[in-house]
Amino acid sequence: MATAPAPAHAVCVFAVRRGRGPDLPPDLSGHAGGGPLRLVPAGALWAVVQDVPADDYSEKALRERLSEPETLERCVRDHHAVVTAFAARGGAIPLPLATLYHSEERCRAALVADVPRFERTLERITGRNEWAVKVNLLAGRKPDPQTPQASQTPQESPARDEAPAPSGRAYLARLRERGQERDDRRQRALDAAELLDRAVLSIAGATVRRRPHGAEIVGRDRTQILNAAYLVPERSGPEFNALLDRLRAASEFEGCEVEVTGPWVPYSFVDAASLADTGDRPHRGVRDADNGVRDADNGVHNVDDGEHVGSRT
Amino acid sequence: MDDLDTWRSSPSPQGSDLGRPADGSLADILERVLDKGIVIAGDIKIDLLDIELLTIRLRLFIASVDTARKAGIDWWETDPALSSSAARDDLREENRRLRAQLEELAPADDGPRRPERMKEKPH
Repeated sequence: MATAPAPAHAVCVFAVRRGRGPDLPPDLSGHAGGGPLRLVPAGALWAVVQDVPADDYSEKALRERLSEPETLERCVRDHHAVVTAFAARGGAIPLPLATLYHSEERCRAALVADVPRFERTLERITGRNEWAVKVNLLAGRKPDPQTPQASQTPQESPARDEAPAPSGRAYLARLRERGQERDDRRQRALDAAELLDRAVLSIAGATVRRRPHGAEIVGRDRTQILNAAYLVPERSGPEFNALLDRLRAASEFEGCEVEVTGPWVPYSFVDAASLADTGDRPHRGVRDADNGVRDADNGVHNVDDGEHVGSRT
Repeated sequence: MDDLDTWRSSPSPQGSDLGRPADGSLADILERVLDKGIVIAGDIKIDLLDIELLTIRLRLFIASVDTARKAGIDWWETDPALSSSAARDDLREENRRLRAQLEELAPADDGPRRPERMKEKPH
């Protein structure tokens, strides 16, 4: 094994955790075209890695492949499946998609060098899951306020003769009224989402807000108001979901839908942890501005793993 | 539009075990996998930021900043303050759009009346 690494393969590392833990599910295959997944030690930590064809995972090949939506989706899903299975018992830290080394030796050396940082991150996320909460404001009344005359045109109804064509002024007033109505609904939804955030942070330890999804995702008939992730102690999962059920039913959320997904591996919080703990990571450009990372604990990171959860009031 | 269809989110039921991949939409998965993760130095560098920007450019899953601002949603940037200037921009944009519509409608509805009369500002 003292020879130079074989050029035919690169080593892809997906995630690290404390201890070897149980084997991975046998049907888990990792990236297409790669070898079997295996667990390798790195200091006190263990990583899940896979040999992948070097030709497909060169910088150039990756850039091309990941620029194809279908390939990107497959890679992201495969990565996610491995990370999730690996994290199933105990915390695991997801590494970025396609973290690649020329050899297992190099991979292990890099991981070992980073063990202190991984340890700090594990302190923070072990025993906790990520839950995603989205609040969408549903479109209001059915008739489109922008084309109020459109619904009348199909049949030449007599009502059209009784009601004279609206004057431009009346038309403008009606539009204004509806615009105001829409603004009010939106403001109420924003207020409701703030309420939800405060309530959830009585259970969750931290939150990350992302840019809301656009109409291409949520549909034209709704506006996403909140796209947040929360770091929630495992044992508080039921409490968290019960709280959201109560919120969903509250009058404040009339006309809104509250979507909850999870539990997720705490993808959204490993980065925040490393930022908070080391402070020396290079900024990730525009995305730091896009993602507000907030700490519900006001800087108190060293909560025992899930021990005094929800003690704040 | 076919591309968009395949990338569209489908709201998913909650409550899967962590042992299985969370049943989130593709958009949920993408924003997590592409956005986060501890950065370690790999031998082969790829820039996930580029990949993400690409998907944004294709308008596949994230609202543009402008769109979100127009909707008054910018609190992921300035939490918890909500931007009132965004609301003003929204009104201004709406005002502009309505006036453009009036330009089209008014001559048909009101004959000789000049569109200028309706160019009053709501505020």
